[in-house]
Amino acid sequence: MGATAKKRTNRRKKASLIISHLVLIIIALTMLTPFIWMVLASFKSLEEVEQLRPLPSIWHPENYAQVFQQVAFARYYFNSVFVAIWVTVLTCFTSSMAAFAFSRLKWKHRDTIFKLYLGTMMIPGVVTMIPNYTLMVKLHMLDSFTGLILPAAFTAFGVFLLRQFMMSIPPALDEAATIDGASFWQIFVEIILPLSRAGIVTLAIFTFLGTYGSFYWPLILVKSQHLRTLPIGMLYFDSAYGRQTNLIMAASVMNIVPLIAIFVAGQKFLVKGIQLGAVKG
Amino acid sequence: MNTKQFCAWVCCGLIAITLVAWRIQPKPVEDGKVQLIWSTDDNPARREQTSLFNKLYPRYSLKIDPSNSGMEKVIVQSIAGVGPDIYDSYNSQINSYVKAGIAWDITDELIKMGVDINKDMWSCVRPFVTYNGRVYGFATNAGSCAFWINKDIFDQQHVPYPKGPWKWNEFLTVAKRMTIRDKNGRVKVYGLIGAWDNWQTFVLQHGGKMYNSDGTRCTLDSPESIAGIQFIHDLVYKYHVSPTPVDENAMATQGGWGSGTISLFGGGKAAMGMGGRWWLCTLRNYKGLRLGAVECPYGPLHIFWGYGKATLLNKTSPRRYEALQFIKYVTSKDYNELNNHQADALAPMIRYSYTDKYLHDPAYPKEDFNAVWRDAMKFAVAMPSSPFIEGGVEERIFYKQLDLVKTNQKSAAKAMQTAARLINAEIRNNVSKDPVLGARYTALMKRHRQ
Amino acid sequence: MNPNYSQNADTTSTTGVTAILSRIMRVKARKTQLLSALGFLTPNFIGFLIFTAGPVLFSLVIAFSNWNLQRTVTFQWVGFDNFVHLFHDQQFWVYMVNTGYFLIGIPVSIAGSLALAILLNQNLKGMTIYRTLFYLPSFTAGVALMILWKNLYNPEFGPINAVIEEVSRVLQLGIHGPQWLISTRNLLGIDVEQVRLVIQQWGLGARDAIIIMGIWTAIGGSNMLLYIAALTNLPEELVEAAQLDGAGKWQVFKNVTWPQLAPTTFFIVVMSFIGGLQGGFEQARVMTNGGPAGTTTTISYYIYTKAFEQFQIGYASAVSWVLFAIIFAITLVNWKLGNKEVSY
Repeated sequence: MGATAKKRTNRRKKASLIISHLVLIIIALTMLTPFIWMVLASFKSLEEVEQLRPLPSIWHPENYAQVFQQVAFARYYFNSVFVAIWVTVLTCFTSSMAAFAFSRLKWKHRDTIFKLYLGTMMIPGVVTMIPNYTLMVKLHMLDSFTGLILPAAFTAFGVFLLRQFMMSIPPALDEAATIDGASFWQIFVEIILPLSRAGIVTLAIFTFLGTYGSFYWPLILVKSQHLRTLPIGMLYFDSAYGRQTNLIMAASVMNIVPLIAIFVAGQKFLVKGIQLGAVKG
Repeated sequence: MNTKQFCAWVCCGLIAITLVAWRIQPKPVEDGKVQLIWSTDDNPARREQTSLFNKLYPRYSLKIDPSNSGMEKVIVQSIAGVGPDIYDSYNSQINSYVKAGIAWDITDELIKMGVDINKDMWSCVRPFVTYNGRVYGFATNAGSCAFWINKDIFDQQHVPYPKGPWKWNEFLTVAKRMTIRDKNGRVKVYGLIGAWDNWQTFVLQHGGKMYNSDGTRCTLDSPESIAGIQFIHDLVYKYHVSPTPVDENAMATQGGWGSGTISLFGGGKAAMGMGGRWWLCTLRNYKGLRLGAVECPYGPLHIFWGYGKATLLNKTSPRRYEALQFIKYVTSKDYNELNNHQADALAPMIRYSYTDKYLHDPAYPKEDFNAVWRDAMKFAVAMPSSPFIEGGVEERIFYKQLDLVKTNQKSAAKAMQTAARLINAEIRNNVSKDPVLGARYTALMKRHRQ
Repeated sequence: MNPNYSQNADTTSTTGVTAILSRIMRVKARKTQLLSALGFLTPNFIGFLIFTAGPVLFSLVIAFSNWNLQRTVTFQWVGFDNFVHLFHDQQFWVYMVNTGYFLIGIPVSIAGSLALAILLNQNLKGMTIYRTLFYLPSFTAGVALMILWKNLYNPEFGPINAVIEEVSRVLQLGIHGPQWLISTRNLLGIDVEQVRLVIQQWGLGARDAIIIMGIWTAIGGSNMLLYIAALTNLPEELVEAAQLDGAGKWQVFKNVTWPQLAPTTFFIVVMSFIGGLQGGFEQARVMTNGGPAGTTTTISYYIYTKAFEQFQIGYASAVSWVLFAIIFAITLVNWKLGNKEVSY
């Protein structure tokens, strides 16, 4: 009897396992279908995009080349990556230093000030966007790389994320270094930074992604075509050339491929970063 | 690798990528040339127009900037010091440009050039370049609406091509025969498309106007204006000869140069298209499309809406005297002939549309309909505008209401009453806040009372 | 990591003399730490002052002016005029309702994230692959995906309606796909111009299309990851104890899992509301231009059109501060309610 019960529970477990997998596969497919449609559409002729048939009858890889001919797509790529790299480096630099001050140094009202700092994350972006725009107008930074990079390079989020990481580093380490006569700068550079590498990578990925896809700020700031980033280029490509779904889908595919690459490379850090960033907040 | 090395690598990388960015920065101007920026639309015809300018005036390098052609953008960018030297202005936008202090008064310069806007330029575009009696620019094209016809569809239905002048009830008999359904009852070909885009013609023909003569009051709520809008609505929902916006939208993509209505017509989805000569820029790409044109039907009044594009010079530009060359260019024979040849509506100077070259362009021997587009100009009337409201605000209010009529969610009467009420409220609001505007408004209102 | 330092840490702490010395040094150090901290804070803080703190104050100040970048109106301080005008601005209220309508998607997407997290938290084979696939939409979210969805939703040529039509044809249901992004209909039947419900507006339209896309994007995103983390940290004894008591799966979830997840849920709800209330800009700009008839215009897009299309900086600032106040109030309410239910 015991054996049959065991068998039954085993069977039940197996059944529930299969059901779980089935459900997961169905959901995964729903998530993927739009992507699959996008990729397939990018290889179709325009007439075929509008038909229900999933596979293209003739594959048109030249759609991709045509995107580059019609718009300065390579230029948009470069601009996006260029701006994103600068913002990422600056953000990591300023955030890690501030996080160090908020986590490893002891001073009066440190945590109160930190909370205030955090509170600014709740302010809607549009509140600061308007004055920042007028500031850019006044500083004649409208329509420039500097205008794209500078305002994006200082975030409370970065400080917050890195502080979470640095708090978890045992205090004994820098105390010991202090006794050895190391300056705070040395402690920062030689102990804390290497130990919070995972945090910095996470922040770097987040910042890069955020800047790569950022839309609002470039939209209002950029005027010249040669300064357009990918999202802005995509927007104008979508609205300016009439009906060419297949080419737009090809552009979309090229837009998200780097993201997927980053995701695959940095998945480990990301998952941890998201969880650390929130759970302790 | 330690931290310092890593940082060094990052710095090197940054410097390298910045150098690349620096290198691929487009060169501003060729040596010794004066760079002029023209903020205009995305029409492919602009490219030819600029290259002809650059050829004729080798001292200059004219560039177009299509992505910043919104009025608000032009104004703010000019104030921020990154504005264009030359920019397009539509309808009542000139009011805002002058008020913002970026439209340059070139009345005297034009006289020096020997150009008289009252004699040389199509009259329906005159309001677009003048403000308070002063001239701020010149038209770069002008046009009026008429009908394109798809000859093949007419031949298939064995319907003779319509001939002008004709009335809307004559039109309806033709349009009903030209609205073709498949066996499931779904419309395959519509009788007419493009009516909504030319709502002004309908309002004007019924005796309606957007504003009273001095622009102090929006008169969209007058019975005449409402009747005009109602008639377009009837074309769709009563006579079923035009597509509902749902059908239309589904067939075309929004926005963009030459998409939408024109591509529907080009694709053979309609027998007649209410539009302008400028449709030809796109329609020429449809090989095998046999085109004809006919005057637009007339209603209670035999007039059509006339429109055009004005090009103004930027007062804040340090190169505004150089930019005058552009005005000279658009009044020249070269530009006007190019414009007519490109079919970018009609050339701004009247005289170049009364040539044999215009009527029979050797490059397009099959185009025998050019007289229709020119002769429509005789009946062309501009839609009155108001200096007391921003064009953008007005458009937002009006088109929202028109959208509601289009989608059959609101009656023409109610929608136009709302539009007029909101626009008038905006006018009152503007004149109460701006003392200069207010003074002008009160003076005009006084005249009304007398 | 530098191993030398950790060794030093061990040796020094054992010797008494250095321990005392270090205590003295630490006291001394604390005095100088404020200055050093300032040094470390400076780069971030300057940026923060210029691009966040300054602008926040500045925008509050100009919310009381009629400032217009176009200079067609002379600059004036107008007191509370902007705020008064805003309360009579019917558009503002309509767009507020739109913004509120978009929040409908939040509970659905949070519930979905939780369900996915529970499904994934069974030590199944291929868990990482599933997680990756679920995470993909939120990771790649942006203009490209919005353009993709715009095409999916095309009522005539889009695959969504093509499938609906096909299914309807085969099963002879006689239904047609919704007009999606060009329809003003919605599931509540909210009227177009006024804040009221009418039956003619009932159906699926642009707003629902955007909500569906939003759920698709967010369901497997960071919320799901947070739930997975919370589920893995769940004390197993609690679940086992409940199971021993004979509780079924649903009861275990209701009595053990859900209360334990409360802090995570609370955090997610707060963040989603903050995000949702400021959201809708990209969708409106990329997919609908705020239309049809303004039905997808959210407050955030309204501010954009006021500020960056009409350049009414003063008025737009006033609207943005009202938005801020609403976000603040809702967060506060959430906090109050959350703290009552959540026991840390």
